[in-house]
Parts: sequence; structure tokens; C-alpha cells
Amino acid sequence: MRTAARVLALLLMLGVAAQADALRQAQGKQQASRATVLQRAQQELTSGRRVEAKRLLTDAADRFRSVQALLLLSRVQSEDGDAAGALESLRKARRLAPNSEEVLSAFAQMSLAAGAPVPAVVTLDALKRMSPSVMQYHYLLGVALMRVGDRLNAVGALQAAEQLEPNRALTLLALGIAHNSLQQYAEAKSVLSRAVELDRGNADTLAALAEAEQGLGELEAASKHVQQVLAGAPQHATANLVAGLVAMDRSQYAEARAALERAVQTDPLLFKAHYQLSLACGRLGDEVAASRYLEQYRQTLRGVQKMIDELRMATGPMGTDSVRR
Amino acid sequence: MTRGIAALLAFALAQGTASGNGGFRDVTRDAGVTFVHHAAPEKKFIVESMSGGVALFDYDNDGRLDIYFVDSLTVDTAGDPKQARSALYRNLGGFKFVDVTDKAGVGHPGWGMGVCTADVDADGWEDLYVTGLGGNALYRNNHDGTFSNVTERAGVTGGGWSAGCGFADYDRDGDLDLFVSRYVKVDLKQLPQFGRDKTCQYRGVPVQCGPRGLEGESDFLFRNEGNMRFTAVAAQAGVADPSGSFGLGVGWFDYNEDGWPDLFVANDSGANFLYLNQKNGTFKDVAFPMGVAVSQDGAEQGSMGVAVADFDNSGHFGILATNFSEEYNSLHRNEGQHFTDVSFKAKIGAISLPFVGWGTAFFDYDNDGFLDLIAVNGHVYPQLDKVKLGASAGYRQRKLLHHNRGDGTFEEVAAKFGDTMIEERVSRGLAIGDLDDDGRLDIVTNDLDGAPQIIRNEIADAGNWLLVRLKGRGVNTGAIGAVVTARAGSLVQKRLVQSGSSYISQEDKRLHFGLGKAEQVDSLEVLWPDGTTTAMKNVKVNQRIEIPQPQ
Repeated sequence: MRTAARVLALLLMLGVAAQADALRQAQGKQQASRATVLQRAQQELTSGRRVEAKRLLTDAADRFRSVQALLLLSRVQSEDGDAAGALESLRKARRLAPNSEEVLSAFAQMSLAAGAPVPAVVTLDALKRMSPSVMQYHYLLGVALMRVGDRLNAVGALQAAEQLEPNRALTLLALGIAHNSLQQYAEAKSVLSRAVELDRGNADTLAALAEAEQGLGELEAASKHVQQVLAGAPQHATANLVAGLVAMDRSQYAEARAALERAVQTDPLLFKAHYQLSLACGRLGDEVAASRYLEQYRQTLRGVQKMIDELRMATGPMGTDSVRR
Repeated sequence: MTRGIAALLAFALAQGTASGNGGFRDVTRDAGVTFVHHAAPEKKFIVESMSGGVALFDYDNDGRLDIYFVDSLTVDTAGDPKQARSALYRNLGGFKFVDVTDKAGVGHPGWGMGVCTADVDADGWEDLYVTGLGGNALYRNNHDGTFSNVTERAGVTGGGWSAGCGFADYDRDGDLDLFVSRYVKVDLKQLPQFGRDKTCQYRGVPVQCGPRGLEGESDFLFRNEGNMRFTAVAAQAGVADPSGSFGLGVGWFDYNEDGWPDLFVANDSGANFLYLNQKNGTFKDVAFPMGVAVSQDGAEQGSMGVAVADFDNSGHFGILATNFSEEYNSLHRNEGQHFTDVSFKAKIGAISLPFVGWGTAFFDYDNDGFLDLIAVNGHVYPQLDKVKLGASAGYRQRKLLHHNRGDGTFEEVAAKFGDTMIEERVSRGLAIGDLDDDGRLDIVTNDLDGAPQIIRNEIADAGNWLLVRLKGRGVNTGAIGAVVTARAGSLVQKRLVQSGSSYISQEDKRLHFGLGKAEQVDSLEVLWPDGTTTAMKNVKVNQRIEIPQPQ
């Protein structure tokens, strides 16, 4: 499209009126047909014919290099569970419109949803600089940084989000989790208590609060909040992790093992649980299980480290919380 | 109004003078100590950030603790070893010291790192071992105020970049063996370029590279064959660390109380080691199952210094490891069968998060019968001051002084002792000892940038005390590895004679007991390294005693 526009401008400049006219007409037709195709795709979607809709959108994207088509296509692919396809569509959109906030935002969110936090971090960092007053970018950046293990910068991003839009339960929850991961339990308890006030029924918030309380040695309070969560969500990863940690603190290793095993079943990437599980099994005298969980812990840790290294190489100026770690 | 201001001023002054109890005073200049540690201003290479240790030991057997500071070169001065001059200060008494380095012959030209001491040749005089880059040195005490470099003959040169060291009789043959930790592989001709890529940046600012991304070094264990000769046995003993972790602080102690010395090694940016002595000349790393390898959430930490002590008067020796910033200092309570990370419960975890910790020691500064804790700090990146700090303290950092409340928790009280304790510095080595034999423990630090600190303990209302010097029979004359248990009323305290501890430093080997208001030590029991015991009853307080091992 840009090339066509440039040719048109050149023709007009040169005074080649006939050719310019012809080109203008062709462009108009193209825009009309692109609109038609997009409209048809929308109709197909409304009628539930998603395959046909995707075909039309793919066709529009290819023929007209339409960013709009690619954005819509990625949304449909995402809804269909095709995260890889959705990301690829957004990558194409990014190539066509590298500075489009809409495209970048969609790409970052899709990357996060697709479990690819590194490109999300890079994109959200750019978005945050483009639009520093948009709370959502800071929040998502914080979440993405947490996903790659960059806890310190995550806290910074989430604090910025909290400043832009105070008392948002989701932000407070993410900030509390980030503080917990830095063992800043007093800070975590403070923000998570506020989050609980704002969103009483949220199991994740209660579990995170319990984690902070356990870190502060407030085992009774932690236990109470964990039980509240587990009553409604028996497999909740964080709640089971905290239940395990509380049991470890009380030297109740069999209970700790059971809770921690539930935690890793729900969230196999929870390396803290793998590590504590290896300790619990060791203290129960089950050396085989202790070794197994230790190995799983090491593998998980290596995976996280790889992600951090990837981020380090990708982000550069943003850095990570510490190059020594 | 004026009276109000006066009252406020009076309050502020009272706060500034350690609540009127004397406190700690920096006496470095008055003491006549002029040593300055050399370091490149920008620390463009990791090798310029890690030195140096400090040792407190009585080299001339006059009963007073002398001080040895380790110096280092910089990349720019690496070609001229004499640019670094480590220094030995003789204690003249009354907190006066004189530089005797040249006469003693221990200026140690070259790239120094750490230090540990022991009477290696069993002649009753302390010898000196200095680690560094490009070879270590064993200085044999000649009994006349001089030392001889016997490194090559002894076979303990090591090589590479050595850091921590400590002597112990790991094979229980009576003589002292030597463990040396090593850090990363360094070729001064091919150093990783400052800020060369994204792995050498910190929050977007170019900094020195490493240790991550650099190749780690293996460690050494030298078995004493007698007659001042050693054999390298790390590989066969299972402590060589072939994977090359970044080894720093070293602590020998018998964690499982089976009579055989075990070994804790603090590794930077990786899991720590706890080597269980298998009583057959070999060790097994049990740091993970024992719960001291990583943080309580399973994260590898950048561990630097080590302190080992019975900090909760439980009868078992626990471990404190100082760590990099955003990683808490780890306090591990010894439960007998394993260790529990009690850093946050004990209230030393959260407050340590902003600091990069190095030298550390448990010491009862107020003689109340409970071991307090000190950690000295300072970052590795001077460039840090140019960027937003976030949760970190800056390049220069204050000390952490944790007062043991006797209930399993500590209170950080450095600010109560005024400028001496909260002045921001770039500290590395730390050693604790009673420099004036007044029963109050003093503090000596070696800073990376500039002058060291000699801090005199002048706490006026400190409790009663006892200072015990052990004299072992046979070859281990310093009784390294011996444990003394003191009972005074309801207080039961245990102390350990150690060679090498803190961050690559050497503490006073005499054992100090704070006794509060106790009028006497009801019983004193020595468990000698060979398993024999000596018991004493009703020992008077506020004195220094020497206990010889019965022949």
C-alpha cells in the first residue's frame, strides 16, 4: 500500500494525470474489496463459521497486507486455542505496523497468554515508554517480569501501575506476589491485606496473603487463610505450598509432603515447592523421593534461569534484577 | 520554646551516643594503623572487587592480638606486584599498633585475597597463609618476629584465583590440613571486557562481567604429611568441586557432632556446599538434604561470608551466610538432624535484603550470654550510584549489627551506636577479637576502597566474661576444632576454635564467653579435637585463662 501511494504521489508530481487517475481508481477498488472481505469475515464469525472466517481473514491479510485483518485473525485464532497461530498473525501485523500501539499491545498480551513472557517484556517495555500514563502497560509489564523471574523490576513496574490507578485489586495482588518472591513479607502483607479488602472472595489473594504471613512467622493466620482457600479450591497451588511450608515450620513432614505434592501437581513450575518437597521427603527418610524431587527442582530452576538469560539478552537496557544471579 | 529545643537536642545526643552506654569507637587513626587497601576506582573487572581478608592472631606470642591486612593489585598495576603491600601490625597494648611488615617479611607483593592462620608446624607459633590470584603463600613463623615463605617446599601454592582458606584436622591424624576455595578462572591478558554485552550490565548500566558467564575454579584440599609438607587430595577426598562453583567463604565445623570436622563452603551465585566428613578421608556434599545449599524458596544465592556458632545456645552449631543484594543473609539453625532456615523468623532476613554482605561473625558484644551478629557490607559495582537504586542500597553500605534478644530473634541496632557502625563503606574482610584483653570484643574490617576500621568496644555496662585460650597437646597446638562448653546458671554456651571464617578472614582463636551477671562459670568442659575432654568447675569470671590439654 505504501509503495502504491508513493508511486501515485510520484505520478501526480510528474503530471502524468492519466496514470495517476488509473492508480487512484485501483486503490479505491482495493480498499473497497478489503472492507468487503473484512465485513464478510465478520458475518461468518457471527454465524459461527469460524473456519471460513479465518480463511477470509488470512486471504485479506495476504492480499491487502491488512493489519486490521491480522488483528482480527489473531483474536479468532486465540479464541480457538491456537496461540501459536495467533502470535504468528500478530508478528506479521508488527512487521506491517511496527509502531502501532494497538498491534504492540495485542502482541504483548498474546505473548503473555501464550506463555512467551520474554517477547512480552520487550514489547511492554516499549509500550510503557510510548505511553507512560497507561496503567495497563505497567501492570502487564510487572506480570511479565514476574513470569521471567525479574522480581525487582516487576515490583517497580507494579508500583508504577498502582500509582497510576490506586487500589486496583489485581495490581495489589500482583505487587504482593512480587514482594513475596523477594521475601519482602511485611510489604507483601500490607498490599495484600488491602487487596483482600477490595476483593474478599479472591482465592489467589488470600493464598498470597497466607504466604506473606508464613514468611513473617505468623503461622496461625497463614493456616487460617490457607484453609479458607483450600475449602473452595483444594488443588490451589499457592495455598498448598503455604500449607506445606507451615507444616514444615511445625516439623509435620508427612503433612508437608502431601500439601507440597498437591502444589507441584497443580503448578509443576513451582520450584520452591519442589525444593521444600525434597527436604520434607528427606526428613521423612524417603531418600529416593527426596532425590527425585531435588532433581525436578534443579530442572525447574534451570528452566527459569534459561528464561532469565533469554530476557537478559533480549532486553539489554532494561537489565534484570541482578546480572550475578 | 528554647527549653523544648534543648530537650529535643538532649534526646538526639543521647541517641547518638549509644544510649549513654559507651558503644563502639573507630580508633584506626589513633591506633597508628595506616594501611590502605588498593583497588581500581571503577572496578571494571571482577578481580578488582573481591579482596581482602584480615587476620587477628598473636604472631609474637606476647599475649596480644596482632593484625594482618591483605592487599591486592589492580589490573593496571598487575605487572608490578610491589604495588600491593599487605601489612602486619604488632599490638603494643593500649590500642597502639606498629607496622612490622617489612621486618616480618609478610608484605606479600602480589594479588592478595584472603588469610587464615594456624600453628602448622607445631612449634607453638602461629603461621600465616595468604590466598590470592596467581598463587598462595605459607609464611612460617621464625619465632623472632620474622616469617619465611615456605610455600613451594610445603606444596600449597595452589594457583588460579584462591579466596577462602581454613586449617582443620579432617583425617584426625593429629596434624592440620588445609582447604582453599577458589573463585573464577581469570586470565589477566584476556579479561572479559567491561560492559561488553547485556550479561555485563546492571539495570542498564555497564558493569564488570561475572561471576555468571565466567568459568568457575575447582577447590583445593591439602593433606598435611608432616614435616611441613602437604599433598593435594581434593579430588580423592571429594571436595574438588570439578564443576567449578564460585567458592569464597570457608567454615570448618563438626555439624553432626560425630567428632569429625565437616566443611561449609559459601559459593557465589550457586548452591553452597556442606561436606560431610565420611571418616575415611572422603567427604559427601549434603548441603541440599541438610537445607543449607540454597534459600528457603530454592533460589541460588550469591554467598560470600560464613559464620558458624551456637547462636541460640541450643548446643548445636548453626550457620550464617552473607549474600548478594536482594538475597537475604541466610541463618540456618542446626536441629541436630538437619538445618532450618530461620532468617526471617529470627528477624535478620528482611533487613539484609538491600545489602551485599561479606565479612560476618557471631560475637557477644555486650556480654549478656547471647551471641550477637555482625555483617559488613558494600556493593561490587561503583556504577550503581549512577542508577536508580530500587530496593538496593548504594555502592557504599553500612554495617548490620544484630543484637540477640535471647528468644530466637535479633534486633538490628547499628544505628544505636552512631556513625562508627552506620558509616557507609565498601567493606570485605571482618575479624572479631579482644584487642585490649578487657573482655569486650572489638571489630576489625578490611575495606576494598581505602582504610580499614579498628573499632573499639567501649560498652560501659557490658556483662561479665571469660576468655579461654586452649593449648592442644601434640601437633595441633592451637587446638583447632576444639569445642568448649561453659555453664553459668541457666546459661549454657558452646564455642569452637576455628581457622578461617567470616569472609576470607581469621578471627581471634581464643574463645570468648559473655556471662551477663553470672558470678562464676559453674563448669567448663573442653572437647579436644582428638575426642578427649577436660572439665573445670567454678571458674572465676572476668579473666583470661589458658587450658592446656593434659598429656
